[in-house]
Amino acid sequence: MRNLCHTPFAAVFTNEVLLNAKRVAPYVLMALFAANAVLWWGWGPAVANGWATNSDFYIQRNTGAFSFILGLPIFTAILMGDIVVRDFRVGVDPLIFSKPVGKASYLLGKFLGSFFVLVCCYSVFAFTLFLLQCVPFSGMVVQPVRVVPYFKHFLIIVVISHLSLATIYFAAGTLTRNAKVVYGLAACYYPVYITVLLLVLIKLPKIFRVLFDPMGAEKAGPVITVNPWNQSADVLNKYVVSYSFDQYANRASQIILSSLLLLLVYFRFRIDPMEQKSESFTMLTLSEAPKRIAYTAPSYGPFDAPIDAAPAREQIPLPKVTSTKGRATTRFQIITALGVDFRLLRAERSLIVLAPLVMLLSFLSVPFSRIPVEISYSVTSATGTANMLLLFLACAIVFYTGEAMHRDRELKTEPVIWSTPSSNSVLLLSKWLAMTLLSLALVLAGGLTTIVTQVIRGYTPVDVSAYLIINGVVVAPSVVFLTSFVVLLNVLLRSKYLVYVIAVSTGAGLIYLYNLGYKHWSYNPLLYQLWKYEDLTGSTMLAYRLYCLALAAACLVLAHVLFERRA
Amino acid sequence: MLVIKDLTKTYSSGVQALRGVSLDLPAGVFGLLGPNGSGKTTLMKIVATLLEPDSGTVEMNGADLITRKVHTRRMLGYLPQDFGLYPTLTAWQMLDYLAKLKGVTNKKERHALIDVLLDKVNLSAERTQRLEGFSGGMRQRLGIAQALIGEPQLIIVDEPTAGLDPEERLRFHNLISESASENTVVILSTHIVSDVANLCSHMAIIRKGNIISTCTPRQAVDQLKGSVWEGTVPREQLAAFKSEFNVISSRTFDGQARVRVISKDQRPSEALAEATPVLEDYYFDLVNRQDQ
Repeated sequence: MRNLCHTPFAAVFTNEVLLNAKRVAPYVLMALFAANAVLWWGWGPAVANGWATNSDFYIQRNTGAFSFILGLPIFTAILMGDIVVRDFRVGVDPLIFSKPVGKASYLLGKFLGSFFVLVCCYSVFAFTLFLLQCVPFSGMVVQPVRVVPYFKHFLIIVVISHLSLATIYFAAGTLTRNAKVVYGLAACYYPVYITVLLLVLIKLPKIFRVLFDPMGAEKAGPVITVNPWNQSADVLNKYVVSYSFDQYANRASQIILSSLLLLLVYFRFRIDPMEQKSESFTMLTLSEAPKRIAYTAPSYGPFDAPIDAAPAREQIPLPKVTSTKGRATTRFQIITALGVDFRLLRAERSLIVLAPLVMLLSFLSVPFSRIPVEISYSVTSATGTANMLLLFLACAIVFYTGEAMHRDRELKTEPVIWSTPSSNSVLLLSKWLAMTLLSLALVLAGGLTTIVTQVIRGYTPVDVSAYLIINGVVVAPSVVFLTSFVVLLNVLLRSKYLVYVIAVSTGAGLIYLYNLGYKHWSYNPLLYQLWKYEDLTGSTMLAYRLYCLALAAACLVLAHVLFERRA
Repeated sequence: MLVIKDLTKTYSSGVQALRGVSLDLPAGVFGLLGPNGSGKTTLMKIVATLLEPDSGTVEMNGADLITRKVHTRRMLGYLPQDFGLYPTLTAWQMLDYLAKLKGVTNKKERHALIDVLLDKVNLSAERTQRLEGFSGGMRQRLGIAQALIGEPQLIIVDEPTAGLDPEERLRFHNLISESASENTVVILSTHIVSDVANLCSHMAIIRKGNIISTCTPRQAVDQLKGSVWEGTVPREQLAAFKSEFNVISSRTFDGQARVRVISKDQRPSEALAEATPVLEDYYFDLVNRQDQ
């Protein structure tokens, strides 16, 4: 009988685990999840409400929040999206597919290998919580040590939810062979899922909610089983979470749908190179025919074979040019590089999704029905759009700045561009400007959509100045700061994936702190939960915004100083 | 013109890429010959200001190229071994962008230069074609064109003829010969011996991070006059023949082995006749002796 360990599947699987073990991302994720488990253990709502930190209810609640809130769907995309694309990118595909490896072994080995690593990363959260049972804080309620609930809830909520997400990302990445499609999907995940959940699934019959809710966050899913706010701590501590038939059916349906999706990937996957544009052969070249074909026998031919007389047109000397330097040249070069960056950004297919998504979110941020408002509908709508856009743009800026900053390396144009005498400020500022202008264009699109929506819904009069003040005072400086900060991160870390992880974890950590009430302006340059419309024209706000812009300038200066043209 | 002194470079992986390389390069085309992994590209990257050496200096006409990076880049034309292009730009747009980065701000001059460059590398007909549709050879030609922007005094071309067909290779040789003048140093890094033989006035051979020879191609060949022998031996005797003589190449066909042998003192066998030495003989002889 064939030993399973010696099959091509096992080889692909172990190699995938090995490859992931050599990446930084899994370790960073593990550290992040362990730190998060400690935070939720010691400083979560359990202590304040008298909930036992290892009660069945609290374990299930933490696991559900972990699976959904902490950006896990994005991390799943990072680990699962490019596993097949990577082989094509590094050019190892012909070496693999010329061996007797079946498509099923290859795809399944790749998928399960990476998914295994993903589950190992996520399990650090549950494992840390499990270990923390032995370290109770003063005032904390801890029940006798438990094992099964950690395992059970982690398997049912995290593993199965992320199995379906991982399959979607894997299918998208493998079939399009474009990791950007996966990251686009991941970036859209929260708005799309929440919109579908609130606007579509809730109106459909139960069977659809059971079948098509991958995260199980809807009532039919296993994430929400009890509302803790109308129960006493004593009841909750004794509460045993048991999943209903619907909840098990939801989980089973996700496994079945994942299997079907993997089957689809198996049938649709092709090992041949993606179709490329063929060269055009229709051009008529009126060049002279060469005098002879050179190198009929280059080796061991006569040593000092004379070089042929060049064809007439090759003897045309290169025209004289004047190379200039100085500030005017630098400005000229920045504008040129900015133009090129915009041309390259225009080719980003994900922008086709991003702009309409901004408009959709702006449309959704206007209240659907006439509600009592504090100042005016324009202020309420503009505030809603600004809050939504800031979070959305933060993600977009991190992603697109990473793409722009590392594009030259990925396309291998770096040595050519770095060997030119243009200053580092040209290379950095062009990308910074491109990202800032793109973000501001999205803000403009979002603002205009909100105004149009307000008019369509009849919430008039439209107060344009409210939009101008909110976007000008809150959003624009924040965009400038975010772009500068991400440029600095990219210069420092030199890896866009590391930047994604650091930026997302920093953002998540800060939002967590802000929500706990620690939102002092000195470490809250975006003024998250720190502004009201009435304050925006005051001198204090002006000082805050100048501080934010000063931070942005400091980031840019630091990026310029630390930027190295290092091959 | 270009003086390289005691250049060393060890990568963080522990690989010692350069071990005290010193070279004196006069104006003209200088060939740097060596097998893959010998340190050629590392040396090229250091001279092109893209890599910091651990120690050593590189000076051109007395100016330090390693510390005065911007100054170096103003007079540099660099064609890397492995480079890419923006796929969504056209050939013309790409050259225009790089010319601007080189400081050629005058529009008329720039456009005239790009037109001539595209013509020289035989890409005029494809000037408006997006680079994503370019073949490897076309990309290489565009790379050569960009290296010639802005009258560079130091041109570094790293494995430039890889991917070129014979006609384009000849065109490239002509282009490089034209570009070399009394004020210009062209460093041609390659492992193709015939490129050096056809183009270079001076050459060096690098191996395992050390320069093992510097001379002119003529001097190299002259050293072997009367020492190169060629002939046919039975295939089954080839192994014994190799152990006895300095066989620098052997090709087998039809049960026979065609061998080329270096023997300075005597005719190695009646089956071999004296042959005209070529640069490959010098190169392989040197490398064989180094291995021994």
